[in-house]
Order: sequence, then structure tokens, then C-alpha cells
Amino acid sequence: MQSANAATPGFFESEFGVHDGLYKKILDKALSKGGDFADLYFEHTISNSVILEDGKVNRTYSHIDLGVGIRTVKGDQTGYSFTQELTEESLMAAAATAATIADDSARLAAKKFVQLKAANHYPLQKLLTEIPLSSKLPLMTRVNEQCFSLSNVIIKVNATLYDQQKRIMLVTSDGIKAEDLRPRNYLMASVVAEKDGKQERAHWNLGGRQEFSYYTPPLVDKLADEVVNRALVLFDAQQPPAGEMPVVLGPGGTGILLHEAIGHGMEADFNRKGLSTYATMIGKKVAEPFVNIVDEGTTPRQLGSINFDDEGVLSQKTMLVEKGILTSYLHDRISAQYYNVTPTGNGRRQSYQHYPIPRMRNTYMLAGNAAPEDVVKSVKKGIYVEDVSNGEVNTGEGDFAFYVSQGKMIEDGKITHPIKDINIMGNGPKMLQNVTMVANDLALYQGGAGGCGKKGQGVPVSFGLPTCLVKSMTIGGMQRQGA
Amino acid sequence: MMSNEMKELCAFVLQTAKQAGADDCKVSYAKRRFVEVQYREHKPEIVKEAATQRMSINIFIHGRYAGQSTSDVRKDALKLFIAHAIEAAKILEKDPYRSLPDPQYYTGRQEIALQLMDPDYQKRTPELRHSMAKELEESCLEAGGEKAISVTADVYDDFREETILTSNGFEGETQSTTCYASAKMTAQDKGNRRPMGYYYAMARALKKLPSCDEIGKKAAERTMELMGAKKIATEALPIIIENRCVVRVLYGFLSAMNGRALQQKRSFLLGKKGKKIGSDIFTLIDNPHIVGALGSRLYDGDGFATQKRAMVEKGMLKEYYIGWYRSRKLGVEPTTGDISNLILPPGKRSLAEIMKDLGRGILINGFIGGNFNSNTGVFSIGITGTLFEGGKRTQAIAEMNIADNHLEFWNKLVEAANDPWTYSRLQMPSLVFEDIVVSGV
Repeated sequence: MQSANAATPGFFESEFGVHDGLYKKILDKALSKGGDFADLYFEHTISNSVILEDGKVNRTYSHIDLGVGIRTVKGDQTGYSFTQELTEESLMAAAATAATIADDSARLAAKKFVQLKAANHYPLQKLLTEIPLSSKLPLMTRVNEQCFSLSNVIIKVNATLYDQQKRIMLVTSDGIKAEDLRPRNYLMASVVAEKDGKQERAHWNLGGRQEFSYYTPPLVDKLADEVVNRALVLFDAQQPPAGEMPVVLGPGGTGILLHEAIGHGMEADFNRKGLSTYATMIGKKVAEPFVNIVDEGTTPRQLGSINFDDEGVLSQKTMLVEKGILTSYLHDRISAQYYNVTPTGNGRRQSYQHYPIPRMRNTYMLAGNAAPEDVVKSVKKGIYVEDVSNGEVNTGEGDFAFYVSQGKMIEDGKITHPIKDINIMGNGPKMLQNVTMVANDLALYQGGAGGCGKKGQGVPVSFGLPTCLVKSMTIGGMQRQGA
Repeated sequence: MMSNEMKELCAFVLQTAKQAGADDCKVSYAKRRFVEVQYREHKPEIVKEAATQRMSINIFIHGRYAGQSTSDVRKDALKLFIAHAIEAAKILEKDPYRSLPDPQYYTGRQEIALQLMDPDYQKRTPELRHSMAKELEESCLEAGGEKAISVTADVYDDFREETILTSNGFEGETQSTTCYASAKMTAQDKGNRRPMGYYYAMARALKKLPSCDEIGKKAAERTMELMGAKKIATEALPIIIENRCVVRVLYGFLSAMNGRALQQKRSFLLGKKGKKIGSDIFTLIDNPHIVGALGSRLYDGDGFATQKRAMVEKGMLKEYYIGWYRSRKLGVEPTTGDISNLILPPGKRSLAEIMKDLGRGILINGFIGGNFNSNTGVFSIGITGTLFEGGKRTQAIAEMNIADNHLEFWNKLVEAANDPWTYSRLQMPSLVFEDIVVSGV
């Protein structure tokens, strides 16, 4: 194995004997019936999980995945195949399958492939595959000990340390060759607490595209504090009344709201097909002038960051909403060609088994001017959301929902008792119009386990939000207001 | 017919693992070949075809355990792979509960021809797939008329084979096919609302699918049912959850029946076995022996010979889903670790008859977001659907929510319709519940 410099080219060539001449031959085959362009996506991924349960680090799972995806594109049509064998015979057969999407005269791929130069937003000093299992065990044990030491009502602790090292190489028929090494990892803790015969559970994780050295004892302690507190607070939590009320979204992981409310609707494949509620809104006012929303892939070590996308387009910062105006969709090469714009670097895929489609990276709202405490003070009766899960959107209507895993009531401008077990419903365009205050405390999700699903593909993404006020949303519960 | 090549490779892995020091080993080798054709705007939008393989091994050594999988099945690569798994296992702590199952549970395997293979599989030609996708799209477009903005038709099929061997005598081999057809339509509604409706079916054999014309038409009908949706006032109402949507709510209940949830004390059903947790209508039968069904099997994930079980009977919780490892940790007899085919017995009346008698209520035809508390049973989940009165659909609804507690919710189940959704392992009919808080304005 070579050094851990992600920018160093040549992994697939040295490990599997593939070369420029072979790429050219395969790409020519993929374009043998015509088509606008073709690409090859080589992937070698090693994933490891180490698990602690009932006080013991007693199981580990590892997976190695190797394959090459071959794509032929003609207009908005895609032919796709992949093989797990890196032999010329298998690669040529897959290319022939991808080629069937076109029915024109043959085209030829570029004669030379130029290495793409990209910044590295997640360099590794040491490969994750070089970290011995024995180095991971003390972290797990510490999670267990810390969680139990923090409260005597904790009855179960689980911990998982997951790391993934994905190497990819993209070769395109227009002459780009790009290689990347994408780390992904997280340490997750889960606890069950029992009090007066009742049980509650919480989990939390920290991670991203980190070095292994990120996982220090102080970080473990921070994780343990967070997860134990999250479980304990639930014993005092109540379900708020159902119906419409103001919602204050706290900073950080609540940014999943943006991901659902606007992010998916801005993915350009939905728009070019007319499937998104935002299909005719570019250039129009969608929010107050103090609302600015971005999707970017360049924040160091953030989970949604990518040096370039899975079509060889450099990562960048894309403004979705600027001063309240909808400014851009998130493009892959197909949609960029359709709209005659430059691709935004959002063509992503789960693995070599999937073709790329427009996907988000790190999506967040920029900080505003308000003080967070003033946002809370402005609400007579409402909900303060601290963390959410299970967001989902119907992109055509813009209707979305997310589950509040941690939150509090706001009464007369003050945060009062904790709440739990509610779903919040809204409509993306309406919600954006209803953002009436944005605070100055932008925070991004700090986990490594976040993922987004679309068309059967999961990709790592991140999100963020400053404290902000949405003047009305629907709260789902079992009691009516005033009942 | 089992591939000798697959069995030989599994035997090689077992032998190599034992030689490398493993006390016991389980190996499974799975292959899949699939084809997908998607149509939009009268032409193929996606054509995708490939084959995959995966070798998974579970190593047991000196009371320790590790699991690994790889797609690289070259023998030299597998030797390294096995050595790595053994080294990993040796570093871990001992787990006295981790072992291969007692072989007694392998015995008694039924001699049933489950018909998991489509006898016409070889007739699934590229031309057939393209013609199916075309027909799906055309049928949906025609039914959708001028309201249709976009229609996507999808045809998918695969062939799978799997071989499993263990060092304590288990041998299993399965070949199966599945096929799937769907149509999705997006329509122009008021303002910028563009609702998307869909219809789909999945089965072991092509002949078990409805016609492409029927799927296309139903997709258009279902999209039209979403038009003009808006939220109504928060109130308690009777609800009907449409057959194909029931699983989304039932999932929270089933998760709590799982051995891991019970052993890790994350289950609101802990201590509820033998107790009444639902109405008399609430019965769940796990039946792995339905010929041609999607979840049918002769052995489960542990290799246990499968058997039909009443999991819930007339509202009483009869069994949990407990596999070998969790049974040892819990100190109970194992059942099976996961669901095969799950049947809630259908009722006698149609959905239309039930709606006519029910007065005012909501027919839920989709869920969005939401989650459940595995310890308390409380759940909250977004809904789409139709308000009905006296059997007539009066208003599509959206941006609304239902919330309840599983320990009370299934007691409110008052009727099952006669329309089981058979295109799934979980064959649920539409279900009627009384007095559910539906949140809106």
C-alpha cells in the first residue's frame, strides 16, 4: 500500500495493473454506438466496525468492495453497467452493455488523460487501514466506563467505531483522470436509562472525514456527556399539544430542515423533469432578504465535503438562496447541459454500482444578525428544536416532515420543560417565507453517521443552521391545543 | 440447481479458516444478476445491467467472533481475507454466547417446493423489458391526460443464488427470481404544487404481476387523488391506513419484537409476551411456506428449519423474533431472528363498503418522515390521504400527522379490509382504527 497522500495518483494502476491504454479501449467500447460521453468509476473501499455491547468489545465486521462502474450518456439517457472483476474481458463486456443506450455511429474517447488537480479537504497523515484494531479498543472501553460513571440510572451502553476508506478513480472520455481517497468515520454511543420502572434511550455520534487521531479521550468524554444527558432529559419530557405554532430551530443538526425543505427540491434532475415545486422559481424571491442558503463541499473534514464530484467536477460553494432570491440548482453534467450552465460539482453516487445524480454536500443557512436569546424571547408559546431525525420530503409539493428527538417548550419567551416524540410538518416554500429571524450562531452537524437517501442511493452529507424562527409549523401530537 | 462452483468455493473457505485456526466458521456466497429499464418521454432514460457477488464469513475462535465480507473471491485474496478475520477476532474479548447454532435447530427442514424461481425467467428478454416499460408509460400518460407533467416507468428483474455452509454441518442453497414494475406520475396542481403518485408491484414471477396497463392507470389515478391537498383542523377521527402503507407504522411494532431490542432493553414489548396488546382483529402470522411468496424460505438466517408461527393472536403477543445469539443472551428458546412472510388476516368487506359505513374519516395513502420511541412505544408520523364522508372522498389532505402509542394504537384496530397487499413479504390489508388524533391547522 502506498502513502496516505490522497493526491498521489496511481493506486489502481499499481494494485490492479490497469493503465491509460486500457481506459481508452474501454471508453471507446462504451461509445461504440455513439453517445455524448462516457466515464469509468473505479472504487476500492474498506469498511470496518468495532462494537461494544454489554461491557465487552466482542465483535468486529469488515467489508471490502472493489468494482468499476461504466456509464454512457446520450442527452438525458444513461446506459450503465459495472463489474467486480478488473479484467479486460469483464470491463469490455460492461462497456458493451452501457453502450446500448445509444444507437448512432461510434465516437472515440480522448487519446490522453490529464490528472485533475484538486484541493484536498480531508488529507490523512495515516491511512485508516493502518490503524490496528488494538488501538481502537481503549476508546470503546472508555465510552462504556464514562457513560456508566455519569449516572447510576444507565443500564445499557453500546458503542460503535466505524471507519471507511474509499479510494476512487474517475476516467472520462473527454480526457480527465481524477483520483481521491475519501475517509469517513464516527464514534457512536447509545445508552438506555431506567428510572422508576420507565426506560428511555438516546444515541449520539461524532466524526466526519477525520484522521484517527481525532478520536481522543476528551472527545470520548464529550460524547458520553452528550448521550447520557440526552437520555436523562427524556424522563422529564412531555409531548406538546398538536397543531400549528411557532418553531425556533436551534443551531447545528437542525439544518436537516434545510436539507429537506429546500435542498432536495433544488436538485436539478427534479427540476429539468418538472418534478420539483421549485421548477419555476429561479430568480424569484422565496424568503426574506436576510436568508442566505448554501450547498458546498469544501469545509475541511465535514462529512459532505468532496474534493471533486463523481463526474470529475471540482467541488465548490453553490449559493442556493442569496438575499432571499433563489439563485441556482444543484447540477450534475446532464442537468448542466440541459440548462446550459456550468456543473456545480453535485454529481454524486453511492458506489461503483450506481450512476451519478445531483446530490447535496454540506447544506446550511448563513448566520444572520440576531442574538439567539432574542429569537427565543420573541416567541410567546412555541417549540424550541434542538435535534431532529428522519427528515423526508415530497419534492413535487415541497411538503416535508422531521421527527424531533430533542427539544423544549417556549413559554412567554423563555425555554421551559423538555419535549419528546413529536413530528413536525411543513411545506418548503411556505417555511422559507416564514423564516422571520436568523441568529448569528451558525453551527454545522459534527457527526459522521449522517446520510441522505435518494433513488436507492445513500451518500454522506452534512448540514447546519444558525438559530432561527419559523413563525408557524404543524406539530404532530396526541393532544389537541387547549384540550 | 446449486452451482457446484459456488459450493466448492464455500468449502474452500471453510477448510482454509479451520486450517488457519478457526474453531468454527460460517460462509455464505451470494450472486445476483439484474437488469433495469426506465422509460420517460417515450424513450429509455436508464438501462442498467450488471452482476454482483459477495462472500461473507463468520469466524469463531477461542470464544471470540468476527464477521467479514468481500466481493473479491479470488482464492489468494480469500486466504488473506480469512487470515485478517482471524487476527481481528483474536484481539477481541471473549463472548460466551457467540457460537454457531446447535445443529438440532437445522433439522426438520420441510420438503416444500416454494417456487421461488420464475419458470419463464429465460423469457425475460431485452425486447420484453423495453415493451413493458413503454406500455407502463403510455398507459399512465393516457390516463393522466393533460394534468401529467412527467411519467417515469420502471421495469426491474433479478436472479439470485446463494450457498451457505457451516463447519457444524449446515448446508443451504437457494435460487430465486424477482421482478418489479412501477409507474410514477407528477401532475400540475394549483400554484407550484406538483404531486407525485405511483403504483408498483413486485413478485417472484412475471405472471404474478398485474398488467402494465393496470399499473400505469393506477399510478395516474393515485396521482389525481393527491390533487388539491391541504390540511384540515386538528381532531380525533377514524382512520383507514391503505394496505400498501400499513408496513410503515407496523415497523415500529415489529422492531420491538426483535431479540436484540429486547435483550438491550430497548423494547416497549419487553415483558408483554402472553399479554393482550391489541384488539381481537390484530393477528400476525409469520408463514415462511407460502408457495411463490417473496419472503418464503426453508431455513432462516441462522440455518434453523423454518416453521409457521402465530406471533400475535387475537391481540395477544405470542412470540418474539429471537435468533440464536440473542436467545442465548436472554436465556430463552430461539424462534427465528427475522420475518419471513407476515400475514394479518384480511376481513370480509371491501374498502369502499367500510368507508361508506364509517361516516367521516381519513384514508391514509402515504406517510412522510416520523419515527417512534422504541422504549415507550410513542410514535408520530406525517401523512397524506383523503378526507371522506359517507363513503365519498371529499378532500385530499397533506401537511398532517398522526400520533399515538403502539401499546394503545393496536387496541383501536376495529376492522381489516379484504384487500391484502401481496406484492410484499408483509401482506397487510387496509386497516381501520378508531379515535386517532390527526394534527393539522
